[in-house]
Amino acid sequence: MSGLRSVELAPGADQNGFAVMISELVKQNVIDHPEKARDLARLRGRVAIVVEDARVAITLDCRGAGVDVHNGIVGIPDLTIRASSDEITRMSLIELLPRVGLPDPRGPVTREIAKASREGKIRVFGALANAPTMLRLTRLLSVN
Amino acid sequence: MTFPFPSEEWTHAYKDAVNANERYRVAGKEWTFGPVAFVVSKDPSKGLEDDAGMILDVEGGQCRGTTFVHGLAAVESAPFIIVAPYERWKEVINGSVDPIQGMMQGKLKLTKGHLPTMLRFVESSRQLVVSASKVPTKFVDEA
Repeated sequence: MSGLRSVELAPGADQNGFAVMISELVKQNVIDHPEKARDLARLRGRVAIVVEDARVAITLDCRGAGVDVHNGIVGIPDLTIRASSDEITRMSLIELLPRVGLPDPRGPVTREIAKASREGKIRVFGALANAPTMLRLTRLLSVN
Repeated sequence: MTFPFPSEEWTHAYKDAVNANERYRVAGKEWTFGPVAFVVSKDPSKGLEDDAGMILDVEGGQCRGTTFVHGLAAVESAPFIIVAPYERWKEVINGSVDPIQGMMQGKLKLTKGHLPTMLRFVESSRQLVVSASKVPTKFVDEA
């Protein structure tokens, strides 16, 4: 499948810089790492990401065949991530273990993310019930 | 002495400010991806009859040179281009807008460039902005 055709900005989302960034990031990551296309194809559910200090939010509507990126929170999210712009940016740098694609617990960024989560700087709602979605999203957003 | 923003003089002073920034030297040490262009969108109400571009030839934590140009076509060769209106750049230089937050809010737009690379060099980008705030600046819309 082509990852390039399957990430779209919903009407109005082109005015949300974060929506544009996430859309471009996912597209570019699939180009740079073709194995991520499988994650894109299997991603399902609604994921809201709230960047608290920038006061912007997006919703990823993941339909299996692709992702629509909406401005703001649309519908009832299955998974909600709330963090600052620094933490959200750092999440895109998380190290992944080769082949298995899980976050590398020895990676400095992964450890910083874990610490920020423990300290409540990153809050994820619905992760336990949607663990596969969380993992696929983490892989898709990571530049590694 | 102050330098009018945007202008050729300001752009040259910016190069010196970048090279005086030790944190940029460290954060940008691995940068080998070519020049970065900052574009101020044209705004006749501010006396900007055309887009103004500042191209920074950055490499390995240093700014090797700068070029001030007019028109978007003149910056097209830069692999990374960030565009914003004059008022937004003013906020960035004054330190009231963080560059990453600004991009997330759509105030600054990366119109060309590999976003994952930019994200890997977030601190480098931030230090470029910090450097800009060190340039003694006279904004063209201020008396």
